Amino acid sequence: MAPATQYELSPPPGDAVSAIAFAPISGSKLLVSSWDNKVYHYDLTNGPEASSLVTTYEHRAPVLDVCFGADDNEAFTAGMDWTVNRLNLETGELTALSKHTAPVRRVVYSKSYGILVSASWDSTLNLHNLNDPSSTPITIALPGKPQAVAGSPSKIVVAMTGRIINIYDVKAIVELFQTGGTELKPWQQRESSLRYLTRAVSCMPNDAGYATSSIEGRVAVEWFEDTAESQARKYAFKCHRQAAPDGDGDIVYPVNALAFHSAHGTFASGGGDGTVALWDAEAKRRLKQYQKFPNNVAALAFSNDGKYLAVGVCPGFETGQNDYNGAGQTSVFIRELGDNEAKGKGAK
Amino acid sequence: MGKRKRGHPDVEEILSRPWCYYCERDFEDLKLLISHQKAKHFKCDRCGRRLNTAGGLSVHLNQVHKETLSQVENALPNRQGLEVEIFGMEGIPQEILEQHRNRIIQNFYQAQEDRRIATGNPPPGQSKNPRKKIKIETAEELLKRFAEYRAQRKAAAANGGVMEGVVQTGTSFPQQGFNQPGFPGQQPQTPYNFSSDSLPARPSANPVGAQGLPQRPTQPGFWNSSAQGAAAASGDEIDQLIRMAEAGVKPQRKPEDGEEAGEGKSKKEKKGRMIYDDAEFSPEEKMAALPRYAYTPPVGA
Repeated sequence: MAPATQYELSPPPGDAVSAIAFAPISGSKLLVSSWDNKVYHYDLTNGPEASSLVTTYEHRAPVLDVCFGADDNEAFTAGMDWTVNRLNLETGELTALSKHTAPVRRVVYSKSYGILVSASWDSTLNLHNLNDPSSTPITIALPGKPQAVAGSPSKIVVAMTGRIINIYDVKAIVELFQTGGTELKPWQQRESSLRYLTRAVSCMPNDAGYATSSIEGRVAVEWFEDTAESQARKYAFKCHRQAAPDGDGDIVYPVNALAFHSAHGTFASGGGDGTVALWDAEAKRRLKQYQKFPNNVAALAFSNDGKYLAVGVCPGFETGQNDYNGAGQTSVFIRELGDNEAKGKGAK
Repeated sequence: MGKRKRGHPDVEEILSRPWCYYCERDFEDLKLLISHQKAKHFKCDRCGRRLNTAGGLSVHLNQVHKETLSQVENALPNRQGLEVEIFGMEGIPQEILEQHRNRIIQNFYQAQEDRRIATGNPPPGQSKNPRKKIKIETAEELLKRFAEYRAQRKAAAANGGVMEGVVQTGTSFPQQGFNQPGFPGQQPQTPYNFSSDSLPARPSANPVGAQGLPQRPTQPGFWNSSAQGAAAASGDEIDQLIRMAEAGVKPQRKPEDGEEAGEGKSKKEKKGRMIYDDAEFSPEEKMAALPRYAYTPPVGA
């Protein structure tokens, strides 16, 4: 009756976690992409005691992102080898869909229109029309290097260096496929509400807005609707900070991951301080802060049914660091959420 | 909040308030403190059950949810431990109690002093600040006395320098040394001397003095001018003191206020030390640049 505890997936990934994705249908299937060139496929149905690892998919280079496609057996990966891949989870078959001229940071799949968007550090987006497998992907130039990308049912939000945020309308991408053009104007271009480099973006499941986070311990929540009232609602707040041990100011951690809960409209943030906090975007309140994880939180994902929260934990990369090794210190924690654990309390 | 008593409670009242070991908040009464602790520090984050103590929560988590409690929620960083068994005000270690007491007392007097400076009002119970009153009176009195004294000097000078010189030589040196406190005693003396000496004693005394001390003729003049000068100078000083007392104190305080405001500001905009602060490159890009993760595209691919 009582929800199971929080537990660690075994075996853990062999190096730092870059992304976690839950399957769109099954609430217990998840993929974890790692810097050790592998994508890990876990299944939670056997609980904490048994090994959850189903299989791994070897890539040529570190995998920077993973997302699911149309069903539970299709996934897309992006990696250091500049390539966007389709991954068949049953056969393990890896098909290159397109190639950038630099590592590919993020892939986002838009289920409603069958579109895959990949964002690379070569400052381009590749738009893949999956409904027409024979079509060649369209490359769109970006005004900056993309750092984070997120999709909502009707929008794609691309956060770049230089605090630029482009919001693309998915319908415009569909039109672009039909006309065969190569120019895609953002539906909106915004300046980030945060002063520092954007770290993560996540869209509200109700398509109303999105949250961004920066390397400077801050999260901003904004709404898509371009009216004065909607824009007046946007706000930002500090989080993932710790009082410095010498009492002089705070140690400010990057907020590496954001994830919205599919049902409750609340979201989780994970930071370099090793904590995960749950926030109510509407009520502007913190619902919960979980006990510290042993390391930097690099990735977060809620399962589709909102029952699980997966937390990717690995050493953080700090300013001045010139080596990195996440091996042996990386783990993925699964927290089974209570019924009301991620539910907002309502405005007070 | 609106119900809060006007004015400020005294230190005993504040010290008697129950307070929470975990977060140092204080409460109106013990009931409130206990319900605070149950809601903030001893609440199970799994099922929402409110336990009475951290130990109780630990047992509950262990038995019901098969989890272990590692720290007390919402507690100050150094108070998260489970070793101390706290219930309301019970169980707080003696040294922490003392620390809290000292802190409260210190804060109280600091706040009182800040209020005093900010409002200019004396603290409650000391409706009249004796120090301040005395200060002003002294200054005024001094001025008045100086004015009187100067008038007398002038009158004396008009009466005749020679006679005066004698009188002065007798009393002037201690007078100079006496400074302000000397004046009250001196003043009645001078008229007395003056009036008594002026008629019979003076004529005889003066020649003697003049003969005995050759430098005498210059001295009265010297003394006179210097005395007036000194009087004027010390008068200026006192004027200055008064001016300081009236206005000068404020400018003195202002920079303090400024400093405090400045401190407050700097506290508000606490300079955070960022763990990662590159505005152009993400941690992943840095990692990607490491040989460990480097990828060289196969030739011809």
